[in-house]
Amino acid sequence: MTASIIEVEGLTKSYGGKRGIIDVSFQVGEGEVFGFLGPNGAGKTTTIRVLMALLRADSGTARIAGLDSWDRSLEVKRLLGYVPGEPSLDPNLTGGQLLEYFANLRGGVDQAYLKTLIERLDLDTSRKFRQYSTGNKRKVVLIQAFMHRPRVLILDEPTSGLDPLNQQEFDGMVKEAREEGHTVFLSSHVLSEVEKTCTRVGIIREGHLVRIGDVAELKDIKRYEITISFAHPIPVDAFTKLDGVTDVETLRDGSAVRLAMQGAADAVIKAAAQYPVVSLTSYEPSLEDVFLRYYERDGEAPKEAAGVA
Amino acid sequence: MWLRSIYLKTLRDYRVPILGWGIGMGLVIVSPMASVSELVRTPEARAALVSLAQTFVWNADAIAADTVGGYATFKIGIFIFLIGIWPLLAASRMLRGEEDRSSLDMLLSVPRGRVRVALEKLAAMWTALFAMAVIIGVLAFLGRTAFKASFGLGDALLFGLDLALFCAVIGGVALLISQFTHERGPAAGTTAGLLLIFIVLDMVHRVIPNTDWISRLSPIYYYNLSKPLVPTYGASLGGMLVLLALAVALSAAAVWLFARRDVGDTVPLPRWLRLSDRVAGPSRSLPEREWSLRSVYARSLGMIAVPTLWWTLGIAGGAAWMVIVVQQVEGKLKTLYTDSPFLTDLIKNLGGANAEFNAAFLAAMFSLLPLLLMAFAVTQVNRWTADEDDGRLEIVLSTPQSRPVVLFGRFAALATSTVVVAVATLAGAALASSATGIKLDSTNLAEATLGLVPMALFVAAIGYLAAGWLRSAADTGLISFLLAAWFFITFVGPELKLPEATLKLSAFYYYGTPLLHGLQLANVAVMVAVGAAALALGTLRFARKDIGV
Repeated sequence: MTASIIEVEGLTKSYGGKRGIIDVSFQVGEGEVFGFLGPNGAGKTTTIRVLMALLRADSGTARIAGLDSWDRSLEVKRLLGYVPGEPSLDPNLTGGQLLEYFANLRGGVDQAYLKTLIERLDLDTSRKFRQYSTGNKRKVVLIQAFMHRPRVLILDEPTSGLDPLNQQEFDGMVKEAREEGHTVFLSSHVLSEVEKTCTRVGIIREGHLVRIGDVAELKDIKRYEITISFAHPIPVDAFTKLDGVTDVETLRDGSAVRLAMQGAADAVIKAAAQYPVVSLTSYEPSLEDVFLRYYERDGEAPKEAAGVA
Repeated sequence: MWLRSIYLKTLRDYRVPILGWGIGMGLVIVSPMASVSELVRTPEARAALVSLAQTFVWNADAIAADTVGGYATFKIGIFIFLIGIWPLLAASRMLRGEEDRSSLDMLLSVPRGRVRVALEKLAAMWTALFAMAVIIGVLAFLGRTAFKASFGLGDALLFGLDLALFCAVIGGVALLISQFTHERGPAAGTTAGLLLIFIVLDMVHRVIPNTDWISRLSPIYYYNLSKPLVPTYGASLGGMLVLLALAVALSAAAVWLFARRDVGDTVPLPRWLRLSDRVAGPSRSLPEREWSLRSVYARSLGMIAVPTLWWTLGIAGGAAWMVIVVQQVEGKLKTLYTDSPFLTDLIKNLGGANAEFNAAFLAAMFSLLPLLLMAFAVTQVNRWTADEDDGRLEIVLSTPQSRPVVLFGRFAALATSTVVVAVATLAGAALASSATGIKLDSTNLAEATLGLVPMALFVAAIGYLAAGWLRSAADTGLISFLLAAWFFITFVGPELKLPEATLKLSAFYYYGTPLLHGLQLANVAVMVAVGAAALALGTLRFARKDIGV
């Protein structure tokens, strides 16, 4: 990892006795695209809002570029672009007015680049914010985060509400930011999104950072399901001991199986090909489902996950 | 229990207004009761009061104005606009407000029909209105006991019921109009405009003979048919039934339209009534030269500009009207003033002793101006706290603008607006004075009007301070209560022989009677110092608090 630009040490925040985050520590190197994964309510937004100096930590420190995010918040914010989880803006201003307003508040925004971003995300700037669809509201917020080419981008579930085309455009923008040496801290509860965009990930659950490492290391928690329907009942034993299969469930009197998978599906496809297949569907469970199975089935986190942070 | 149905949940949301508005309006009714028995100590004073009330008959019916119940009914008639504010705000927010926040989508996803959802909400508002009516009735009855009036508890409750029915009609109007607007603000504004028109329509038959048919177009006419606090007049069942029918019809029409239109959209208007549709294609341009987008202060000014215009018209127009009225009723007031020790005391308390009558009376009336400008400040404090509650400060605070700069930007915009209102009020009063020939000391007039600014900013600073701990509704409720309490202390306190120390607790005490004596520098200094301290503490708190928590 390169020199750290985001350093979080022992960060704890509660809301009047209710859990927020507990003793969270991690570092993000300059130029990294860091994914912050966790189910809903795990503490992702709390961590981000502490980094943004919108919340004051009960204990611990959060530093960006060596500056304490609370004590030196003004200098920190000059370095940042931010997309909140639930963006709310003046409903009576047009998209263009909002972007111009935030450009003025930030200062030093290259208008030509701003217009390029507007073109790129295909935003109609003449409509009022309240008239925008969810996806277009998200575009306004994304553009204001990227428009000043910030050194660090802090994005809280940034693609929520974007259509696949714009998600692709967003991926491109993140990639370019990374190529320019900028750092991206991106929270998500969608495993595949983080896998596609990020180089390293941290996983937070119930306020605790339970795991941190390279994206490649996610494979041991990455699970998915395959449901195969056959023309007639088949012997389920044909799948139980295959590589990658962790669980088998028989459906419709044996003429269909639901397989819990981890890793490659090659062996399963080859085994299924022995029988007349009617349909095959693959499903990636939500991160919450993954956590539910991975962390709670055995009552506690696996050893390799616990204490890694 | 309160979350078992939409009706109960909505009623739960209304619990603070039920108490706050009910008690507040109750006190507005009791206050004139406190004064009237003192006003009519001699037959001459009684005759003068009746004559004076007749002078204002264009504004409100003056029936048995020399009795406790009659005078209270007459006074509440003058303030009928205030009575209508809560129902018009609540009804314009009821469906359209929820659509603004997209929370209605969720509510309509539960297995309940749209009509039922709307009716449950409407029923909750009506229940709230009738609960307020009971509070107002009980307070009126307590006032009757204290000031020895002749009406009974039933009469007092009927009085509350008449008010509630009138409010239900105004609520129905707002609910209906909100089906045609995209946001709740225009619905509330249009209803407020209609309320003013209703007031004018109701006035017509009292000013121009044989024009009853015009006044019958106004629901206020039917409200005025009942005067239960005047035992010789009584309540009009017919009038109340008309109000009930109007409320039901307007609400039913609103619910019917709501059930048939798209959620988030409006009832389609005929083509000739529609504003020109957007025909231009998508734009990629940016308003690079727009002044109101250059800073937090400029943006705040842009946000406050339209409300400032309306409040300026109201306050400056009110001040000019006061000057004109004084000239018109001078003779009658003088008789009453001479024969009523109470009025003499009241005007001396409010308008100042040892002054010419006109000036003293005008000074007493001018003491209402700070109340109005402070109410404007309350609305702007509410906007500030609502912005934080709704998350609209989040991205602003992610820019390199410090929290104090953001807060001061908003406060400075409010300060600028109050200066505009004060200067326009000065101009309005000066013009009216010059047109009517009423002589006013120009320095004192300038101090009386410009002195409104520290009053408004004082209450705003208190609101900004409290916003450090309270959410929008609680903060607005707190400073509204403070305003009501200060009003009560200053306007009724001297008659209740409240000690000087208590009178000094009211912000109005420090405004004094600048029209007669100029602003007292020490008092202004106290206001400014306390206000500045509150703003400084509020800024410190805002700089350290968790945003949106």
